[in-house]
Amino acid sequence: MSLRRRLIISMLTILALLSVNVGTHFWGSLARNESMVAYRDSVRAGQLSDEIGRLLEDQRQQVLVLATIKETTGDQLGSAEQQAALESIREIDSRIMTLGGLTWNDTESLYQGLRKASQGLLSMWRDFYEKYNEDNVPIDIENPLPYLETNQKLDELKQEQAKLAVDRANIIDRTIALTDRITVLAFVGTLLLTFLLGFALVRFTSRSLKRLQKGTELIGAGDLSFRIQTDNETGELAELASAFNDMSVKLSEAIEQVQMAKDQADQANAAKSTFLANVSHELRTPLNAIIGYSEMIQEEVADGEALEPEQLKEDLEKIVFSGRQLLSLINDVLDLSKIETGKMTVHQEWFNPRLALERLGNSMSPLLASQNNTLILIPGEALPEVYTDATKFRQILTNLLGNANKFTEHGEIKVEMKIRDSEQLVITVEDTGIGMTAEQLDRIFEVFEQADHSTSAKYGGTGLGLSLCREFATLLGGTITAASTPEKGSLFTVTLPVHRA
Amino acid sequence: MKKLLLVEDNDLNRDMLSRRLQRKGYQVVTAIDGQEALELMHSEHPDLVLMDMNLPVLNGWDACRTASLDARINGIPILALTAHALEQELKKALEAGCRDYATKPIDFPVLLEKIEGLIK
Repeated sequence: MSLRRRLIISMLTILALLSVNVGTHFWGSLARNESMVAYRDSVRAGQLSDEIGRLLEDQRQQVLVLATIKETTGDQLGSAEQQAALESIREIDSRIMTLGGLTWNDTESLYQGLRKASQGLLSMWRDFYEKYNEDNVPIDIENPLPYLETNQKLDELKQEQAKLAVDRANIIDRTIALTDRITVLAFVGTLLLTFLLGFALVRFTSRSLKRLQKGTELIGAGDLSFRIQTDNETGELAELASAFNDMSVKLSEAIEQVQMAKDQADQANAAKSTFLANVSHELRTPLNAIIGYSEMIQEEVADGEALEPEQLKEDLEKIVFSGRQLLSLINDVLDLSKIETGKMTVHQEWFNPRLALERLGNSMSPLLASQNNTLILIPGEALPEVYTDATKFRQILTNLLGNANKFTEHGEIKVEMKIRDSEQLVITVEDTGIGMTAEQLDRIFEVFEQADHSTSAKYGGTGLGLSLCREFATLLGGTITAASTPEKGSLFTVTLPVHRA
Repeated sequence: MKKLLLVEDNDLNRDMLSRRLQRKGYQVVTAIDGQEALELMHSEHPDLVLMDMNLPVLNGWDACRTASLDARINGIPILALTAHALEQELKKALEAGCRDYATKPIDFPVLLEKIEGLIK
């Protein structure tokens, strides 16, 4: 569950409990208020009943006194006195009405009884006053029953009101006790729940955080294969954990790449060292011949021997040959260095490629003869002149023919030239030599690489020839590819643009 | 006359060195590869073998090892000739069973001293 959802649920629960608390309080107040109003009404009704009782008694005394006066003296009642008496009766009636306003359901029937009795009594008194000055008052004013009945009803009502007041007071006490209890319970519940939720939240969160901490420590210590367990959890902490996992995946990928780059750099460095050793070896072989022959001639001269001109000429030719071999090796190394530093330039000119090939074939005939190989130049269509770097073109072909001759004995070397799509000059050099495996084919164009580590021992070379061919072909906007079958021979294909833009 | 076996695949170096050694009074037999060298050690019984290490068919190191295991020829001292100037290459030659070595280009007087020292 997400951290946010956990927090929200906790807060909502606590809020709900607080609402219960507040709600209980308000309900308690409301209930108390209702009972208080009823209680106050009951008390007020009790007071009013007392007042009415007193007024009724006063009025009865007055009526009895007036009746006695009239009987004994026959005095008339003054108009003002009559009005005052009627007014006081109205007053009593109004008090009784007010008492009705304070009456609740429980006392309604008692009040109605009082009202009926009082109306009878009050109307009798009203008649008495209104007809007082008449000679024969037909009213039996001495009859105490209406008064007593009214008084009794009033007492009953009063007692009932008192009883109600006590009841209401009790209800108020009970309500207060109940709301207090609910408030305390809800408060304790809120505290308990808050504590529990907080505890659970902290526990869950800290478990996830501990896992995160352990994971980051392990990942930080270099264990990039470690993955933080998320146990199918969702939410921010699980997302954080999976972000950490992603980070460690990416880190290990990055480290792998760096390691790979380092390995490649190490390999390149090792290849350069090997190359240097090879170059040193290749330089020493012709140097050995040059120094050796020169020293031998010196010795012969010093010994005063009769030098045979033929022998001397041959020996000097060997010195020159070795010197040229040395030079071509140094040139190869320099060319490669120029290409590597981007300083190799291209000099384009118009020339006939077939003528260039024929000249090259002628110059190589001694070399071909030494391996008993036959060079076959396939005639094919007439070729137009091409506009490219003639020197590099020659260097590529010299290298390919030299290689074909080196790895072939008593065989054939076929060279074919064609124009494809009137834009590309395609040259193929095919031999019937020792060939190469697919694995060797993969590496032969790499700088400093030879098909086999024993190749340099067996056949010489620095592993520069084919690298240079490829670099030259690329410089001229073309390509070079190779195909081969072990023990059957190799086929090299060079494609160059006829006219380089 | 002492007999030397010169094993060298490079034509010029073989020609040059054999002639120089002959001028110093040695009989020189030549071989082009390691295999031929082993055969000649058996048939010619040279007093010393001068062996280039980078050889076709059977290289110099393997030829030395084979010779050192063969009781009939392991008494013949082998002097390695190598164009590898690196320390480890020279050590490799001694480990293969060569008694000494000379680095190309060869310092001829030093080579002669070494040959004489080994033949006695």
